[in-house]
Amino acid sequence: MSESRQITVSKTGVSKLAILALAIVFAAGLFVVGFDQGHVFSLVYGEQAYTDLYIHELTHDMRHAAGFPCH
Amino acid sequence: MKTFHFITIVLISGAFAGLIHGTVNFAIVEPYLDQAIGIENQNLFESGEEEDSPQFWVEYEGYRVWQKSGQILAGVILGTSVGALFGIVFALSRNSLPGSNDVKRALILAGIMWLTLYLIPFLKYPANPPTVGDAETVVLRAALYISFITISGIGAIMFYKLSRKFKNRKKLVSIIGYGIFISAVFFVMPENPDEITAPMNLVNEFRFMSVLGVSSFWISVGIILGFFWNRFESNKDTMQYS
Repeated sequence: MSESRQITVSKTGVSKLAILALAIVFAAGLFVVGFDQGHVFSLVYGEQAYTDLYIHELTHDMRHAAGFPCH
Repeated sequence: MKTFHFITIVLISGAFAGLIHGTVNFAIVEPYLDQAIGIENQNLFESGEEEDSPQFWVEYEGYRVWQKSGQILAGVILGTSVGALFGIVFALSRNSLPGSNDVKRALILAGIMWLTLYLIPFLKYPANPPTVGDAETVVLRAALYISFITISGIGAIMFYKLSRKFKNRKKLVSIIGYGIFISAVFFVMPENPDEITAPMNLVNEFRFMSVLGVSSFWISVGIILGFFWNRFESNKDTMQYS
């Protein structure tokens, strides 16, 4: 008498490129929402960005609500 | 799973969970932020730094609308970001996680990450509403907070890896080991240098709502990524043998 069995093998090979791309998304997003004090826009607007704080103000409420130090 | 599908489902899961987080915050955290900012404004008037004038309120309304409208957008950005980390960790640890399907596995991982990367750091450095926090110490506070999260995350990975060397009681070894390690870090790390000047009932209620908001993110990201993973997982090789 023969017995037939079925097994499922799941592979989880993740490409290094995908991990690198997601790591960049993680770092960039975390910096923008949690820590930017004008740094990102200073690349375009120079010193004025540190006064305007557009991203800081945009993320202000989430920054407080998610537990990041804000000001 | 193809790389494109993997990146797409991870980013979409994070963005959706972030949208939920932002929406929950908008409903339950915003009233406390408004109250705290009201106190902040009163302090500015009393100290003479600002004048209670129509011009002040026009400027205030201008940036307050920008801040409030940013709550949901910032939720999506933060959700995509933290969701990306969650996706990496889930992909690398999926085979080691308990659970009969990917939704259960993802929820278990979300629970572990919520505890080690959010709740335990929160207990040391809890969220504060506006009016609490000296601008002079913001860099120090940010450094302390991110350091604690990093140490806690690395500690959790370290004790998980260590526990794999033990044949029996793996879970117990990793939980006790991490518990002792993070307790030591908890007491060694410096306190938040700022004094709390806002009413404590407002601060505590704000913190409670903040925990609910962040928890809504971790529950959502676990369910959504687990669901997508089940749906798009195409590398299942079914083998039959007799």
